[in-house]
Amino acid sequence: MKGLEKIAEELEKTRLENLTRRHFMLDCVSKVGSLALLPLLGSCGFGNSNETKGLNLSDRDLNPLSPLPPPSIPKAKSVIYLHMAGAPSQLELFDFKPELIKFHNQPCPESLIEGRKFAFIRGVPNLLGPQANFQQHGQSGAWVSDYLPHFSKVVDEVAFLKAVHTDQFNHGPAQLFMQTGSPRLGRPSLGSWVTYGLGTENQNLPGFVVLTSGGKTPDAGKSVWGSGFLPSVYQGVQCRSKGDPVLYLKDPDGVSRDLKKKIISTINEINQEEFERFGDPEILARINQYEMAYRMQIEVPEVMNINDEPEYIHELYGTKPGEEAFSNNCLLARKLVEKGVRFVQLYDWGWDSHGTDHSTALDLGFRNKCTEIDRPIAALILDLKQRGLLEDTLVVWGGEFGRTPMQENREGKTMGYKGRDHHVDAFTMWMAGGGIKNGSSFGQTDDFGFSGIEGRVSVHDIHATILHILGFDHEKFTYDFQGRPFRLTDVEGEIIKEILS
Amino acid sequence: MSIHKPSIVVTVFIILLVGLILVMNQEEQVDFNTEIKPILNKHCISCHGGVKKNGGFSVLFEEEAMAVTESGKPAIIPGNPQGSELISRLYEDDPEQKMPYHRPPLTKEEIKKLENWIKQGAKWGKHWAYNPVEKPKFPTNGKTFSKNIDGHFPNQVDAFVFQKLKENNLFPSPEEDKMRLIRRLSLDITGLPPSKELIAKWNNDQISYSDIVDELLSSNAYGENMASWWLDLARYADTKGYERDVSRTMWPYRDWVIRAFNADMPFDQFTIEQLAGDLLPNPSEDQLIATSFHRNTMNNDEGGTEDEEFRVAAVLDRVNTTYEVWQSTTMACVQCHSHPYDPIRHEEYFQSLAYFNNSRDEDTHDEEPKLRMYNTQDKSKIDQLRKWLVEISTDQEEKFYSDFLKFQEPKYHAHLCEDFYNGELIDTKWLGLWHNGSTYLKNINTINSDRLLLNYWADIDGTAMVIRNGGPDGEILSEFTINNTKGRVTRSIPFKPVNQRIDLYITAKNPSAKPQQSTSAIVWFAFIPSLPGNQDKLHDKMQDEFLKILNSSPLSLPIMIENPDYMFRKSYVFERGNWLLPREEVKPKTPEIFNSWNEEWPENRLGFAYWLTSKENPLTARTVVNRIWDQFFGRGLVNSLEDMGSQSDIPSHPELLDYLSWQLMYEYNWSIKSLIKEIVMSYTYRQSSVLTADLHQRDPENRWYARGPRFRLSAEKVRDQALSVTGLLSSKMYGKSVMPPQPEGIWQTVYSGESWVTSEGEDRYRRSIYTFLKRTSPYPSFMSFDASSREVCLSKRIVTNTPLQALVTLNDPVYFEAAKVLGRNMALQEEGDPKVIISKAYEDLMLVPISVTKRESLLNLYQAALNDQEIDNNSFELVADSKLDRSKWAAYTIVANALLNLDEFLTKP
Repeated sequence: MKGLEKIAEELEKTRLENLTRRHFMLDCVSKVGSLALLPLLGSCGFGNSNETKGLNLSDRDLNPLSPLPPPSIPKAKSVIYLHMAGAPSQLELFDFKPELIKFHNQPCPESLIEGRKFAFIRGVPNLLGPQANFQQHGQSGAWVSDYLPHFSKVVDEVAFLKAVHTDQFNHGPAQLFMQTGSPRLGRPSLGSWVTYGLGTENQNLPGFVVLTSGGKTPDAGKSVWGSGFLPSVYQGVQCRSKGDPVLYLKDPDGVSRDLKKKIISTINEINQEEFERFGDPEILARINQYEMAYRMQIEVPEVMNINDEPEYIHELYGTKPGEEAFSNNCLLARKLVEKGVRFVQLYDWGWDSHGTDHSTALDLGFRNKCTEIDRPIAALILDLKQRGLLEDTLVVWGGEFGRTPMQENREGKTMGYKGRDHHVDAFTMWMAGGGIKNGSSFGQTDDFGFSGIEGRVSVHDIHATILHILGFDHEKFTYDFQGRPFRLTDVEGEIIKEILS
Repeated sequence: MSIHKPSIVVTVFIILLVGLILVMNQEEQVDFNTEIKPILNKHCISCHGGVKKNGGFSVLFEEEAMAVTESGKPAIIPGNPQGSELISRLYEDDPEQKMPYHRPPLTKEEIKKLENWIKQGAKWGKHWAYNPVEKPKFPTNGKTFSKNIDGHFPNQVDAFVFQKLKENNLFPSPEEDKMRLIRRLSLDITGLPPSKELIAKWNNDQISYSDIVDELLSSNAYGENMASWWLDLARYADTKGYERDVSRTMWPYRDWVIRAFNADMPFDQFTIEQLAGDLLPNPSEDQLIATSFHRNTMNNDEGGTEDEEFRVAAVLDRVNTTYEVWQSTTMACVQCHSHPYDPIRHEEYFQSLAYFNNSRDEDTHDEEPKLRMYNTQDKSKIDQLRKWLVEISTDQEEKFYSDFLKFQEPKYHAHLCEDFYNGELIDTKWLGLWHNGSTYLKNINTINSDRLLLNYWADIDGTAMVIRNGGPDGEILSEFTINNTKGRVTRSIPFKPVNQRIDLYITAKNPSAKPQQSTSAIVWFAFIPSLPGNQDKLHDKMQDEFLKILNSSPLSLPIMIENPDYMFRKSYVFERGNWLLPREEVKPKTPEIFNSWNEEWPENRLGFAYWLTSKENPLTARTVVNRIWDQFFGRGLVNSLEDMGSQSDIPSHPELLDYLSWQLMYEYNWSIKSLIKEIVMSYTYRQSSVLTADLHQRDPENRWYARGPRFRLSAEKVRDQALSVTGLLSSKMYGKSVMPPQPEGIWQTVYSGESWVTSEGEDRYRRSIYTFLKRTSPYPSFMSFDASSREVCLSKRIVTNTPLQALVTLNDPVYFEAAKVLGRNMALQEEGDPKVIISKAYEDLMLVPISVTKRESLLNLYQAALNDQEIDNNSFELVADSKLDRSKWAAYTIVANALLNLDEFLTKP
């Protein structure tokens, strides 16, 4: 790959910047930096009793996103979760099944499908051989198809889970299950749990950022990054590449930064007087939030702007500046994690390859989708690694379920394109980065890739593992609601030790 | 004498000793509910309860706790703590034997309590909330504060509150500033700041506090404000939810709620109409609209989904919601197993479900049944038809036809079709038969029904349809041709009824159809008797009218309609709550732990609603009182609003909760307005909300109410207040939901072509309750302020404080527009002195005079804005013939922007 030296150079620059930043933090950024708003309050905390009227307040009283250490030593500090909404086919990407080539176009053995429900397949469908060519790659010898030529070069950084299963075969419920641990609405998302448990390092940016591409939000809507019964401050904040990167971030027309600063300092002066009279600590929290809002207005557009990245970085990721693109989002994910954002969730829509038309055909539209993500994902892993961020960052890739080894015959019809129906029994996910045994693979499916025969893991197991890597015991990490403690993993979930370093 | 001396000492000593021993032996009577149940819930029940029964032992139900365990004997032997394994296991040394298993041990005090309890007979008790409400005695010692509160004799509420204050060594705060108080009251009751007229009257002592309360309670804004609260519980939204999340018409229900609150409909009636209005005798249109409460469940249109799965999901949601809304009971826990903490059994969940399992709705795309709300013209036609039917036929027949026109039931949906040959369910929804296609519709009742009403559309002509009895060789029951319809129609087709349940075999032939092309899309089938009176001269005209009205497209609202007997659905216990694993059949029955059933009640939803609103029911009144209290004080008397079960928070003022519940049922005849009046008349409510450091330390959450409530306004109130103080707010009530401005690109739902079309004119400025609510993409600024996306029932919004909220009120064009209007008004003042103008603007918003320092801050801001070169003149376009000075307008707008963001403005005082 081109430009390793430049990456090293970039890395050194970042390190220096971080050092400088740390100095700022020590000196209390809002007083020393250009952001000084008020003489009476700063980001150093509210310990001074003159300012808090002697109230005994914790950091979380004033800022619910202030960082907290996890209960045990974590292997990773932040998460980048790449969710391919619509559910990509494992059989064209990672789960190589030579037997399926042999039995291509043969009727599916009835024993496999007897008594089972599919979303669209009716009657007896035919088996469909892999539509891509497979090869082993890297030291680990991982099978990856020629749909992902760039990703093939970083397989040694990755741990594959080949026999993931779920119990939801419709997109909405399955996405909710994958992201909140329940197929029904109302539970907090993974990112919300993590931000609730850990807070976030950078108070000038949201702790849980969501980036979408593919032209649509996921099928289950914004509830996949909702905070459920957790306070709404922990819900994902969608950062957009068009319009305001964060809603209402832009100042009204004609309001300059200086004037905005003056507005906020006026509000906060008056609020401070109000606090002195009424003594309600919520007022102090509000003063803090207005300062944060001001800082976010500066820092979010900065971090969301990829134009200043060097050319080789754009090349590495294959970015498309000015567009809503997965490649841009991968680069943004790196920038956000670098800046101390706790959880970055990417959704890329358009993976539902039923074969009903060109765009959902495995050898056409699906292949294009693979090309769109191939380079950016490889770039993300390399870039994180070169910057020393990969060891602290957990990267997760997957969809909400898998695809059938059979060709879809929608409502019994013969289809014009090659596609596969939704499949819950077995699909592939992978993880990389902090805490992950790189170059490993766990789980195995049967000859047709229909079911896991070894190392089956559930959605709850994935969640338990992610929480473990971040330093949580998923059985003890609870929140009381409706009279009982709730867990992300409900009453299930086992840590997948086999992929841990 | 000297001999006696020591003996006296000894005697005294002995007396003391005996006394001491007596005291030590005479341990307190242990109370199960307050002392034992919490220990069991904390340490034992997660392994020995509703979910797990390790060792065959459970402490959930009395008989389980006293029963023989796997060890062969009971773990609790009343009267014998030493012999009870429950106790001995607590003292074990072997970690494999010691309880709690691999967890921290109980404290000595806890063990002692358990021992004493067993010694005293291990008497089981009922959790307080399951006992009926009894009229509590008034505390006497509470009144001692009254002398210290000048002139204001506390009401009954205060008697209970003051008693607790005394117990906690706290003292009530002085009364709130007069003007702050009226702002608090008005925001609480109406969701809006008080009107200028009311302020003037109050300021000049022309109106009493009590009259102000009445005036606010009788304003229309009261119903709108209460509806915001209720609609969270009712999970009201304008879309169906799930993947496609397309729009639905639900707003007539929202309007019903507003009207019901404004009319102060008694809460029992309010309950009955929403849960079972359709089952009341001759229900009115309003009573049918009320039943939409349970049609607010989500409806899944995603292709490939099984309608039955989501019908069941909706029914489960109705059970869970009903218990949360009226019983503060977390019934959802019991869906999969017995309640982990409360004595409700797994099968009792499904017995409750049986009440809700027989409504006609089946998660179809159209969300039938729907109430067809005809226009006046069609209504009068229907009246004519009904009149005619009464003349020539029976009341029963008249009712059948008028009901059919009202909600088109009973009917069979196409998704019931099976065994397709050359056919499909189009998008898993509608019947599409190809050329030479066939399907079965099984177990159909056509008794006495000589007409088939078919609802469908077709794009091609000449499809020959045949319906046979039983199969390909069965008798032909109907034959007809389907032609291009140019849209959906309901058609009446002659049909030969069969006098028993039959399977229909349906075929289609159309050689002109392309391969795999559906010849038509059939939505539903209804079998009805033809209109009577075919000898009558008006018959044909009436027949015509009947079909025309059926084919009209009036506003239609999803409602609840019960299945006719022949469509009765059996209910089963679902193993682990999984609908695919039905086990034993169950009949409708209410859980044993609650009030008993009155044999006179019908065994359906209506009976269930009577049961809920019976004065014997321990939880309905307590629940509503607790939640109304929370609306005013920001916390419930039981802080866990969603749960009053044994795991809930201990009530801070149990007697007050019972007193208000008693009043609500027995004195106020379920009038919510009366309940609210009693609450806001209290001194407790009228206290100043100033918080001292000492008070913060002793009662940070204001659990004892030694100060008035002070908390941030709700999402709706934040916006409505800003619109109101700037005069932008429209007072238009009711109707279709509106779309005030929101940023571009918010709606991106999969497969839905719908878009946010910003409302014009006054609809931009309607109260927030009328804002269109899309579940997967709710109005973003409301979400920043903790509003609900209304997917499931929500008892309490958590109040957060985030930077995103600041961004909304600082930058959202909705709020900046408000600032511009306010700024314009300021700039147009005759008075030239900015000091005076700023002071007046502040006072208009906060109702209290501005302090010098605040005024100086705002004046500085004004000067800074005036000197700012960058303010874009284009955004302050001059209005023709106006004295408006543009730079002043801009500068005052900036001041207004700050005013609208002050904590004191966003917070109820």
